Amino acid sequence: MSFSSENFFDSLQGAIAYLPVTFKLTIYTFVISLFIGGTIAIIRNYKVPMISQFLAWFVTIYNGLPLMVALVIYNLLFMTNYDNVARFFHISKTISEINPVIVGYFSLILSSSCSYSETIRGALQSIEQVQYEAGYAIGLSKLQTLYRIILPQLVPVAIPGLINNLVGTIKGTNLVSAIGILEIMGGALTPCALSYSYLEGYLAAALVYWLFSFVLETLAKQIEVRSTKFRRQIV
Amino acid sequence: MIEITHLKKSFGKQEVLKDVSFKIQKGQVVTILGPSGSGKTTFLRCINFLERAEEGELRIGDTRINLRKASRKEILNVRRRTAFVFQNYGLFYHKTALQNVMEGLVVVQKIPKDEARKRAEAALEWVGLSNRKDFYPSQLSGGQQQRVGIARAVALNPEVILFDEPTSALDPEWVGETLDVIKKVAKKGITMIIVTHEMSFAEEVSDKVVFMDGGSVVEEGTPKEIFTNPKEERTKKFLARIIPQDMYYI
Ligand SMILES: Nc1ncnc2c1ncn2[C@@H]1O[C@H](COP(=O)(O)OP(=O)(O)O)[C@@H](O)[C@H]1O
Ligand SMILES: [Mg+2]
Repeated sequence: MSFSSENFFDSLQGAIAYLPVTFKLTIYTFVISLFIGGTIAIIRNYKVPMISQFLAWFVTIYNGLPLMVALVIYNLLFMTNYDNVARFFHISKTISEINPVIVGYFSLILSSSCSYSETIRGALQSIEQVQYEAGYAIGLSKLQTLYRIILPQLVPVAIPGLINNLVGTIKGTNLVSAIGILEIMGGALTPCALSYSYLEGYLAAALVYWLFSFVLETLAKQIEVRSTKFRRQIV
Repeated sequence: MIEITHLKKSFGKQEVLKDVSFKIQKGQVVTILGPSGSGKTTFLRCINFLERAEEGELRIGDTRINLRKASRKEILNVRRRTAFVFQNYGLFYHKTALQNVMEGLVVVQKIPKDEARKRAEAALEWVGLSNRKDFYPSQLSGGQQQRVGIARAVALNPEVILFDEPTSALDPEWVGETLDVIKKVAKKGITMIIVTHEMSFAEEVSDKVVFMDGGSVVEEGTPKEIFTNPKEERTKKFLARIIPQDMYYI
């Protein structure tokens, strides 16, 4: 097997050209899933009747579904049912005019929301009951206690797990290439189709993914350090 | 004046409070004694709705509130007129001592920040913690944390402060300073209900002592009546067990 640095740099360029696609997929998925996952965790934490049982059941089942399987199922459903749904909602666009990335987002957000919710719920469970009670006792409402007392304490506990989740999401964005979305991987492999040599493409993709994860992780760790100042022990 | 009548509370099948009635006049200090598991904590927690009673009525000033059916608004109203000092302090970990005291002033009482800061600083100075105001709870000793907890309660200027064994989580070396601060609160004329196992403190600080056992008030009276001349057998037994013999005659 030969390695051509020229092909490697071509692939690297291709990968970097599609970095924004992966970046957008990652960030949008992260932010939306953080919100949905946080909401799921809070509902379950407060044991809202019915909804919290349903969510517990859903999260458990969904976490057992590999992202790739979910992705191809949704893609298939999307392909076969699009016309009916579009007719129902009077959408005039044909399926070829719709960017399949929405199926990618759907799968990524659903699976990320479930896994983030477990991380956040774990962090919530680590907060002592007396923190809620102290909030109520000074006259804060339930919502004020949640926003002013519980969530700020949650952040430093949840961040290490969420960094893990974020890396998982970055890796997950790679899978959407399976339904024909060009991202880092696709960009890196495009030049390979001409040279019939794929090693350079794979390595270039790996390098860009690795750098991207590294940068995001480093940023997230900064937030972690900043959010934990109250846990520092001097005494 | 604060009055609780016919308070009942169960956890599952276990009746923890069996028809407890209780009265405290403005400016009084009442201590509640009783063996562990007798329902003292639950009693305090029912007053500010950290637990929901099955039955009972609370009168605070001119307001009457059904302890079982109270609406969210009524609960908030009661909580804003009372303060609670927790056994394990209950300080907000992510806030400094000063921020802990300011939180209720700013968010609940809507006092402007500058004014709230002044009041919080004064409250911390009053409990002897001026030099620790910018410390987080994790940087304070147990005794200091509990004094912040007391400052937080006093700063809110409540109609009554409920203390749940404020010194029993403390290392012995910090108990004295904390009790001194509570005595200072008593001298201020603030109405207080204190659950404690510190007998000589209870004797010194209380206007009235209530002895609870098995979810009921067994006996109540002045400290002198309870400590030197208890009437009920259960009170005598409890005191004999908890007080060293020589203290009886002080
Ligand atoms: N949240 C709870 N769930 C179930 N049982 C409880 C709960 N809180 C207290 N109890 C029970 O109620 C009884 C009274 O408890 P508590 O009020 O804490 O007593 P005390 O403060 O006098 O030691 C105990 O038997 C205790 O086990
Ligand atoms: Mg107790």
